Amino acid sequence: MKKFLLPIILLLTPSLLFAAGASTQLEGGFKMGPAIILITILCVFVLVGIVFRAKDTTDFYAAGRSISRVGSGMAIASNWMSAASFLGMAALMYGTGYHGLAYVVGWTGGYVLLLILMAGQIRKYGKYTAADFIGDRYYSQGLRAVGAIIAILISISYCVGQFGGIGIMFKWILGIDYALAVIIGGSVVLVYTLISGMLGVTKNMQIQYVIIIVSFLIPLFILTFKFDYFWLLPQIGYGSVVSDIVSGVPIAETTQMFNSFGHEYAMVPAPEYAMPWDSATGQTFFQWIAIAFSLMIGTAGLPHVIQRFYVVPKARDARWSVVWGLFFISILYWSAPVYAAFGKILSANPEVGKLAKDAIVVYTAQLGGVNPLIVGLLAAGGVSAAFSTVSGLLVAGSSAFAHDLYVKIINPKASPKMQLLMARLGTVLMAVIVTLLALKNWALIAQLVAVAFSLAGVTIFPLFLLGIWWSGSNKQGAIAGLIAGLLVAVIALTYFIAGKEGVTLPYYEFVNYWLGAWYFAWIGAPLAILTNIVVSKLTPETPLEIRKFLVLNVHS
Amino acid sequence: MDTNQNDYHISFFKPTTAMAKWNRNLAIKLILVWAVAVFGFHFLLRAIEKPTPEDAYVKYEKVWENISTENASVEEMQTFAHTSLSVLGKVFIKPNEKATLCNAVSWVTYQLADSLEKNLLVDKTRELEKIISEIAAISEPAYINAKKSLSQVTSSILGLQQSDPRRLILSLSLTSTEMDSFKDVNKEMIPAIMSTYLIHNQSFLTDFVFLGFPFHYFYTAVFLLVLFVFLCWLYCYRVDQKYAELGIEE
Repeated sequence: MKKFLLPIILLLTPSLLFAAGASTQLEGGFKMGPAIILITILCVFVLVGIVFRAKDTTDFYAAGRSISRVGSGMAIASNWMSAASFLGMAALMYGTGYHGLAYVVGWTGGYVLLLILMAGQIRKYGKYTAADFIGDRYYSQGLRAVGAIIAILISISYCVGQFGGIGIMFKWILGIDYALAVIIGGSVVLVYTLISGMLGVTKNMQIQYVIIIVSFLIPLFILTFKFDYFWLLPQIGYGSVVSDIVSGVPIAETTQMFNSFGHEYAMVPAPEYAMPWDSATGQTFFQWIAIAFSLMIGTAGLPHVIQRFYVVPKARDARWSVVWGLFFISILYWSAPVYAAFGKILSANPEVGKLAKDAIVVYTAQLGGVNPLIVGLLAAGGVSAAFSTVSGLLVAGSSAFAHDLYVKIINPKASPKMQLLMARLGTVLMAVIVTLLALKNWALIAQLVAVAFSLAGVTIFPLFLLGIWWSGSNKQGAIAGLIAGLLVAVIALTYFIAGKEGVTLPYYEFVNYWLGAWYFAWIGAPLAILTNIVVSKLTPETPLEIRKFLVLNVHS
Repeated sequence: MDTNQNDYHISFFKPTTAMAKWNRNLAIKLILVWAVAVFGFHFLLRAIEKPTPEDAYVKYEKVWENISTENASVEEMQTFAHTSLSVLGKVFIKPNEKATLCNAVSWVTYQLADSLEKNLLVDKTRELEKIISEIAAISEPAYINAKKSLSQVTSSILGLQQSDPRRLILSLSLTSTEMDSFKDVNKEMIPAIMSTYLIHNQSFLTDFVFLGFPFHYFYTAVFLLVLFVFLCWLYCYRVDQKYAELGIEE
């Protein structure tokens, strides 16, 4: 009876009838101003890509090692500030409140580990890719191949969320269907990455960083000023917005403020927005800790992040580029929660209806009555954020395909021209796979991206950590550790995908909770490390030349 | 790392040179600060938190027994409707729970209306529902007028003040077919809904306001990021300083 009545009740409840109404108005049709801004920005990217395009394989893989530490920091930030940061983080906080901050902390705190434990040493090791390091350090072509395949899988997983973000923004700007938007956006980013290589990408990343951060910050000043908060530093000024959400905002009798639909700037008290692991959000303390931890170690194991340390001239530059990179990243991460907080109050009226969380940054600016051209710039910034990351990921993935699989294993005598061709073929293949997966629309952007972090956390991170800091870690230990980590990943992802496809596996609730797709590294990484140590202790010692290389080159 | 030795072993926890020992100690100190700042703080937050009800929940608890047995006074009915509206205005609420609360609000409003108002209430609610099903945008005058007209009837019935934001939700929470009874199935759901949405994990760390933020929110969203940048800067600075002291050129 309940099952029968519920749809009727839902249909007859007026507030729920607005689920499409107002939000459809926010979506609108084709938007000329934002479209022109987006096309202009994309043209600039392509032009810069052509001017600084890769001339040979060294350029393609590692930008000729000619990038300064501030420039590299900007590139790290731009590479990092993806659709997940630009759109996804605010979406998570809008949807789950304080729980979303686990992503903010996870995606920044990991840089401390990366710097202290890896950055300088990775540069000193002097390889091109993560698989290069794994193959050399663990003296195994097989591990090199597995490392390359994992790097490709991580890049694909990471790109899926980005393509989703590109699709959502193209959909908003062009007023077209999501699927078509993903295909158009994906094609544009593919063409751009093919035209340039990492040199062009790195130069572009510096430009992209400026566009991303400027487009993200301008609406915040406008929103805080307009709604009478401390606007000189919105990243602090929004504290009062959060407190207002907690205590509620009464309808003002004198100086009334409205959203763009004319609704009063008012809402009932909602402490669940700011209080930790609130039952209303359905998220728990364990999940908060597991997500933060998984994202942190995932950060230190992402191939495309690690690869950025190869493009700086010296180990010292690699270290300082992390500091700059993290500072530049933090500017965006201090700002993203502002959108979520304003979004909450501005969409509090039931007439606004249910909004697509991943587009909440743009919706908030619209609801706040920000000038449409500035909202257009914001949307273009979102596309730019996704582009900068996708191009880096496609390069990292295609590098793994061409350099680590094709040249090092399949055809060691390949000419530089052939290598470049294979890199480009790898890029196209990855883009096609990513587009198909993005069309599935399985989860929020940030959650899809977090899957890549957990995957990196259970595979690459343990291999790098032990490979750098313990000469006792040997090939057998690495293989065993990798199997342990991958086993956890396979279980978690099988349950996740099965659940999304409507298949209920045994113990679904239990596995899905304790091995969530975006935080399975909380157990997978320690297990991989422990297995690596135990097996290494029980098997023959690492060869002398490897230990010698570690002592003389990496730790000297 | 003594390069004169022939064994060439590297271990983070067993450094063999003074420089390696220094580096290990610095790394351990910084990682400890990092770990305590992130995880230590959140474990503390977890340890000291107490389930704290909102005012609306305290009021709800006082009236619920009489509401559930349908023996409530006018004031108690109003209080229950106010509480239900407090949850309906929440930022996270599931559709089925929303429907349950809409039934509660519709039923209470209808019960409290006098005989003349009852017909008016049903008619105006129906009119609004009809307009909603027909309009393309919420800016259409017919919709605005119908909503305003219904709001004038309902706000006085429930005794909501002018500045109360629940007034904004009320008209849109009413369902004409849900007014005559408060369904048993919905009654059963109410206690769980109320405790889920109106009780929160709070402590002095969440109640203390710093720079306008609840302190724990400021700590996580703002301070931790500052700390991470500082820890990174400190590490680079100390390593550079040490290398300069020892005359090491990378």
